[in-house]
Amino acid sequence: MGPTEKKASVLLDKKLLVFMDQLELLEEKREKLNSLIEQGWFFMSKARYSMGNKQVSALQYGNEMEPLVRVNTRRLESGEAAFQTDRNTQTTPEEKPLAEKLVEDIGPKDTEGLRRRTQAKKVLTTEEGGRSATETELLRESDDMKPPPSSKLEHNPQQNPLRWFGVLVPQTLKQAQVSFRQVIELSAEVAALQSAVLATRKQLQQQMMEKNGPQTEGQ
Amino acid sequence: MAGRGKLIAVIGDEDTCTGFLLGGIGELNKNRKPNFLVVEKETSIAEIEETFKSFLTRNDIGIILINQFIAEMIRHAIDQHMDSIPAVLEIPSKEHPYDASKDSILRRAKGMFSAEDFR
Repeated sequence: MGPTEKKASVLLDKKLLVFMDQLELLEEKREKLNSLIEQGWFFMSKARYSMGNKQVSALQYGNEMEPLVRVNTRRLESGEAAFQTDRNTQTTPEEKPLAEKLVEDIGPKDTEGLRRRTQAKKVLTTEEGGRSATETELLRESDDMKPPPSSKLEHNPQQNPLRWFGVLVPQTLKQAQVSFRQVIELSAEVAALQSAVLATRKQLQQQMMEKNGPQTEGQ
Repeated sequence: MAGRGKLIAVIGDEDTCTGFLLGGIGELNKNRKPNFLVVEKETSIAEIEETFKSFLTRNDIGIILINQFIAEMIRHAIDQHMDSIPAVLEIPSKEHPYDASKDSILRRAKGMFSAEDFR
């Protein structure tokens, strides 16, 4: 065995060890993914038990859907692909503070454009008779600058999918949602790892061909 | 930033789809085309295959999750897909636990250790 062949063998061994490590990690993550999915189903079954059999099914899916999670993909130089989940948390009404939610729930929804409180301002100016005209003008301006009331929540397609199944859903359905959110995060990791395994396998095959090529040609 | 990311698609039984949609992956695009397929008893293999192929051609999909027992029905189509994006992930279903020996990716990786490679 020549020195170049020995070097190639060492490189091949190293690559093989990396490949084995990746396979081991993939198996580990797979196991976790599968157990999380099972956990999600278990919670969903519990929710179905308390809500009724037909209450957690495809019939309840919303007629408008916007993804709350997306996956950023990137091709690396080594030939593998990187996957990273990106959860859109800003637009989910569920995540907003409680006080803000209360205002939105009880606030006007159909008569947004009509609620100009000019009458109320008049009363205010007559009550505070001593106030100058410029002050009242400023008051009116500041009122006009206020942001308009929030848009209707019912028509927001980016609402929490839990709402499809009712307003007051059992805790178990929320737990199922948490489990599946974790599954989604993990599935991106598994996808990246799968891609890495295939890329390493390709490199390993190339190195093997380079090493065995002259021998097989000679045979 | 969120607008640039790709979608996660699902082909699975009702519980699998419901779970993942609950997790927030569901989308109905402008043409009212969903990124999921609920496979029921009456769903034909041709329909599954067609949906899978349409997901492969859509460039807004990054990952396709598919129940392993459904993947078995369209194995030839899955084996033909060699590109890394969209990634195809086989997942278990309620009635069919995950079997690593059936997984396309692991079978490809296992092929690494055939006698042919060790000549």
